[in-house]
Amino acid sequence: MRYLLRRLLLVPVPLIFVIAFVFVVLRLTGDPVAIYLGLDATPEQEAVLRAELHLDKPVIVQFGYFLADLAQGDFGTSIQFKRAAMEVVMERLGATLQLLVLGLALAILLGIPAGVACAVYKDKLPDFALSVLAVIGQSMPSFWLGILLIQLFALDLGWLPTSGRGGLEHLVLPTVTLATFLVPNFILVTRVSVLETMREQFVVTARARGAGAARALWRHVLPNAINPVVSLVGLQLGRLMGGAVITETIFAWPGVGRLMVSAIFQRDVPIVIASVFIVAVTIILANLLVDLVQAAIDPRIRLR
Amino acid sequence: MKRFLVAIGAMALAVGASVGASLAQTPKDTLVIGAAVFSDSISPAAGGYLTLSFVYQTWEPLVARDADDRLVPALAERWEAVEPTKWRFHLRRGVKWHDGTPFTAADVKFTIDYVTNPQTVYARKSRIAGVVGTDIVDDYTVEIRTATPSALLARGLADIAIEQKATTEKLGIKEAHRKPIGTGPWKYVEWVAGDRYDLTANPDYWGGPPAMKNLRLRSLPEGATRVASLVAGETHIIEEVPVDLLPSIEKRRNLKIDAVESSVSLVLSFDVRKPPFNDLRVRQALDYAIDKKTMLQQMLGGYGSVLDGQLVTKSTFGYNPRIQARPFDRAKAKALLAEAGYAKGFDTKINTMQGRYLSDVDIANAAAGMMTEVGARTTVNVLEGAVWAQLDRARDQGPIYQVGWFSVGDADFNTVWYTDGSKRNYWSNAEFNKLWEEARSTLDEPARLKAYNRMMEIMHEEVPSIFLFGLPRISGRSASVQGWQPSRDSLLRLHKVNVK
Repeated sequence: MRYLLRRLLLVPVPLIFVIAFVFVVLRLTGDPVAIYLGLDATPEQEAVLRAELHLDKPVIVQFGYFLADLAQGDFGTSIQFKRAAMEVVMERLGATLQLLVLGLALAILLGIPAGVACAVYKDKLPDFALSVLAVIGQSMPSFWLGILLIQLFALDLGWLPTSGRGGLEHLVLPTVTLATFLVPNFILVTRVSVLETMREQFVVTARARGAGAARALWRHVLPNAINPVVSLVGLQLGRLMGGAVITETIFAWPGVGRLMVSAIFQRDVPIVIASVFIVAVTIILANLLVDLVQAAIDPRIRLR
Repeated sequence: MKRFLVAIGAMALAVGASVGASLAQTPKDTLVIGAAVFSDSISPAAGGYLTLSFVYQTWEPLVARDADDRLVPALAERWEAVEPTKWRFHLRRGVKWHDGTPFTAADVKFTIDYVTNPQTVYARKSRIAGVVGTDIVDDYTVEIRTATPSALLARGLADIAIEQKATTEKLGIKEAHRKPIGTGPWKYVEWVAGDRYDLTANPDYWGGPPAMKNLRLRSLPEGATRVASLVAGETHIIEEVPVDLLPSIEKRRNLKIDAVESSVSLVLSFDVRKPPFNDLRVRQALDYAIDKKTMLQQMLGGYGSVLDGQLVTKSTFGYNPRIQARPFDRAKAKALLAEAGYAKGFDTKINTMQGRYLSDVDIANAAAGMMTEVGARTTVNVLEGAVWAQLDRARDQGPIYQVGWFSVGDADFNTVWYTDGSKRNYWSNAEFNKLWEEARSTLDEPARLKAYNRMMEIMHEEVPSIFLFGLPRISGRSASVQGWQPSRDSLLRLHKVNVK
């Protein structure tokens, strides 16, 4: 419990570093006034907007203003949307979380059983076939896969909509695209972890004392092999977010990923920071959850 | 094998979803558009020219452009100059706002006053920059005064949406811009940022009710997805068909391509201040080196047009019919380079953005290849938009940069970028500057045309840019769609579109 508290207390530190870095890089590489007003703006208009956004001050002073607002929970007003940045991001968060949770769930559902199958049938046909699939899956760009899926299921078969957010049927293709991006890692890590555990003495002993292969796997191997896979979930979240950006673009999914990318191009700093903040908080909280799950599974962590 | 795994996963989910799938079909009376660029906002003050495509579903200007960039009456039925610096607009009677209240001169004065207020941040305010005041003559007549005679006032007003005084004053500009109450053919229903804009027909529209009951504009930024949505029947019309996907639409009988030459002129501009492009012969040589006709076929699917050796397209006011593009002539290009002392060639580069204009990077690459053939060894440098904007302001785009200039129908709007006043020009010509000023401050149309014609001649001789293409707008539609035509200015005009 104290371990958890310490982790919670440290949460703001990486957040402030990430935000400072994003802020400075965005401000130094592009002028939001120029982008927002277009090329034919009058100097007067520019001056008004520049003062409104504190852009007439040095970057370090701008960052001071920004932190002061942030301390009051104010992420500033979006340059593109002319609304509170956090409000805009929160509107889109639901769509992205839906995609992330479902994609992750599907990846776990497919990846872990496949990984176990590989380990159990090591060096036999299932292992070979699934491992090859995993390698192919890992090297296949999501972008291409998404378009192939649209071609097959939306155009040729006509079963599913091509894009957009709506009912359940709109979720299928984006979820599968996102999951495919993750499944290979789950297969490979589960496979290695189960194989290693199977060589442990307690498993050998269990078998020697007469436990059947199924029982040994279910009672002795899996509970011990699952932890590295659970920590993989935490590690994958960052990658998953990257995958979500691509998936959201192909399927015209109105999520945070696409919002963030377009905000970067527009140098809409408040939106970028609000979304980076939310994504970072999500990842940190999810990692805490992963730690809790691990502790629940493995008494050794609990007692540490 | 991979696909097999994916297929299993997809099918598992599809079973659960197939029940709901029938509900996903769009209702029959809704027109669905797949928009390539989805505006971040529906506020008339917001940045980005294409915001107007969304704004003008609900709001209207005094004077509108039609799909061919001609000026047509909108909220003003007619207009005339009563003095060189005073225009009178006669407003349409019987027009109602979406809340049922009548539209009057007070709304016009209110809008123009707040747009021209120096404190207001309003993206397109420079379109009516010379306006100094608006006077209400009676409920249906207003007079707009300008500092100097302004031939372009009516054209500029086409980019200014007239807003309702009462609502805006009551709610404040920010709130009023979130849920538009306009006079236009469609009424606001719901705006879901990044996803869709839903509207419903305005039965009391002065131009007659729209042909369809409802309208949905969907955000489909990815070209392949946009085409897929059209093929699957989820959208009726899509904007901006990517050139490499044209065949997938052309081969289907139930789909049609509509293309129009836009008023965007794609050019390659030189930094004429530095060698080698300070030498006119070098600039002319590269103009001869590029096979524009072949490029139009290959990179733009044969749609759009090769510019006639001048900045503006044929449909733009100011077009000079006596000028022709320099022919493709490699020998002449090489000879000119040798004459300028570059017989051994030189190294140079083209700066371009990606995805800003149709096939932009492909066109830059092809041009670079053709320039290299004659000895100007050219590489292409793809820049991100914000970096581009910074270089542009610093006037530091490098030796050659590719850009598309919008004219929206009048040469004034795109020739400005070659004048000293623009502060973005690399090339400078005193006669050109003077003609530009004169043309915009006289109401004498033949005199204006003459000035622009002469300006086109100067540019043709001096080659500040290689004039490549009038870029096409290529849209795709279902064959059941009637009354649709893509607009030269790329705004969506959907009032008369019907789906059979």
